[in-house]
Amino acid sequence: MQLLKPARLLMTLVAVTGLAGAPAWADDDPIRIGAIYILSGSAANYGKFAQQGIQLAIDEINQDGGVMGRDLEVITEDSQGKASVAIQAARKLVYQDQADVLMGLDSSGVAQGLVPVMPELKKPLIITHAATPDVTGKLCNAYTYRISNNVAQNMKAAAIIAGETGAKRWTTIGPDYAFGHQSWEFFGKALKEANPDVELMSDTAFPRFGAEDFTPFINGVMAAKPDGVLISVWGGDLVNFVRQANNLGFFEQDMEIMFTVGAATEVLSALGEQMPEGVWLSTRYWYDGFDNDVNKRFVSAYIDRYGVPPSYNAEGAYAAVYAYKKAIESAGSTDGDKLAQTLSGMSLDAPNGTIAFRAGDHQALVGPNWGKSGPMNEKHGIRTLADLRILDGEKVSRTIEETGCQL
Amino acid sequence: MSGFGAALLNSLDIGLLLFVIAVGLNIVFGVLNVINFAHGALYMLGAYLAYTLINLVGLSFWPTLLLAPLGVAAVAVLIDRLVLRFIYQRDVADSLLLTFALLLIINESVRSIWGSGIHVVEPPPILQGTVRVFGGPSYPIYSLFVILVGLLLLAGLWYLFNRTRVGRIMRAAALDRDMAEALGINTKRVVTGVFAFGAWLAAVGGAVAAPMRAIDPGMGDKIIIESFIVVVIGGLGSFPGALIGALALGLMHGFGGRYMPEINMLLPFVGMALVLLFKPTGIMGKGATA
Repeated sequence: MQLLKPARLLMTLVAVTGLAGAPAWADDDPIRIGAIYILSGSAANYGKFAQQGIQLAIDEINQDGGVMGRDLEVITEDSQGKASVAIQAARKLVYQDQADVLMGLDSSGVAQGLVPVMPELKKPLIITHAATPDVTGKLCNAYTYRISNNVAQNMKAAAIIAGETGAKRWTTIGPDYAFGHQSWEFFGKALKEANPDVELMSDTAFPRFGAEDFTPFINGVMAAKPDGVLISVWGGDLVNFVRQANNLGFFEQDMEIMFTVGAATEVLSALGEQMPEGVWLSTRYWYDGFDNDVNKRFVSAYIDRYGVPPSYNAEGAYAAVYAYKKAIESAGSTDGDKLAQTLSGMSLDAPNGTIAFRAGDHQALVGPNWGKSGPMNEKHGIRTLADLRILDGEKVSRTIEETGCQL
Repeated sequence: MSGFGAALLNSLDIGLLLFVIAVGLNIVFGVLNVINFAHGALYMLGAYLAYTLINLVGLSFWPTLLLAPLGVAAVAVLIDRLVLRFIYQRDVADSLLLTFALLLIINESVRSIWGSGIHVVEPPPILQGTVRVFGGPSYPIYSLFVILVGLLLLAGLWYLFNRTRVGRIMRAAALDRDMAEALGINTKRVVTGVFAFGAWLAAVGGAVAAPMRAIDPGMGDKIIIESFIVVVIGGLGSFPGALIGALALGLMHGFGGRYMPEINMLLPFVGMALVLLFKPTGIMGKGATA
């Protein structure tokens, strides 16, 4: 009899779950989000902020009763910043982990590799960081969306500001891959269109991503004596760059300096006062720049939980989770095809205002944030942004014809 | 200062730091026949220890420069006794696999201990700012300090290998371990000592790099690739080879970045390919022993 007890218990359990649980089981099963970010190496901090943004959104939503009565759940994979790894991760998330939707991507190179695979996976993907125009341009497809702004939008904004400075001769320092080159290309095109008399110098510098030592490139640009420099170096490279540039007196020259991703809090908190005052810094989202209820709630909840202000990557990830919530509720389903259709043209109240995924290319029309580095915010240990400009997302976006996207 | 002078100093700054790191890799290979994939991770550990001692403990730069590399050397002794000693007699490929595992373990440990954020360390006040070199405009004092450290270590290592008993024992163990043992040398102690010494060199590189480079969980992976290029160009296991390879790479970065920025990325790999084609063992190398 002693031996029978556990067996009977087990049978009872099977019977109960089998009878009462079977139909309900599928509905109680959480809705799975598969997330792909860089979680190792130099840019691991970007992935960490994204994970925090996702977790905050999921916990808020689950506390409020979930999505159609089901909890949300996230499974995160490391892309290592490599397209091949990200494609493997996406297949694993969809086929093995049964993820209903995908989100993430930090690197343009990764996005260019993964996006063409999405029609095979038949799940929607919301890109929250990677900025190459191609994935909502010539590589666009029915499943791929982007909630963060892209290089074309940000460089159009940069050109508007650069035009106002009156600087005539421009050059660039950027990482030697898609992001650095496309930044310069789109910036130059937009600047030339608005101000035909500007000169785009041939003395450009494209150090490799992860170069560590930027001194030779900084020397080169200083010797060329430009009026303005567009700098698209980012992440740990940007930290290295700013410190070495400080050493060489780069910021004391009479030049307009524009950092295209300079207001990433990941970088600002590492640099502290070493980020010079009075240079132009851009970000996809500045936590202090939006006076709406969604943002107030997001920023205060984020700081309460993690002790630091949210970076743009945290905001993009947070907003993407809410975008999926809204899409699933209006589609009434987690079916990949239905969701992909629902997202098209859908609008959403995000921390950075009301944003919509344009039907023609699935790009969210969000305005880049540009400001001049100001005095330190002592509480957060980072520079403030003075003269903050939130550019109009629609004005800086290319037309559908210009994107080359055909859906 | 002329562009040429700046490019030359940059080359020395980059090259000599690389030398300090790559020579450790080469000494470990020369004596132990182990290609240490985790060498870059030990460099990173040196930088993180320096960051911890300076920013979190509040120590000043100079004692840190002494303590951080010693701490890493102590870790290396543990690694040697607990893991590496089991594979010294095996094929060199086994050591690659094992040290690659060590690299992953150290990388993830660093990330779980210190987080994935980017950290910076301030140079000591005396090394901050710039100074006029060759009568021209300014050059960062800290970069001159890096050059000085590189030259001092270069001289010290040369003296060690050519003029001291310890150095001769190391060279003897590298040439023929059985013979050295027959002559009464405790090669086990030599082996542990050499591995710790290699790690110490990597960590000196890390501690010296800390005030000028971003400290992040990827810094070790970047430096190990450069160090392997140095070793391929200069010759695996060769002391002068590490110097030649490091200076060659320094010159490619220093002048390439300044005058040929569009092909700068290509240069080290072209150099490596040329060396592999015409002198596969590297400029000064003798090749791996089975």
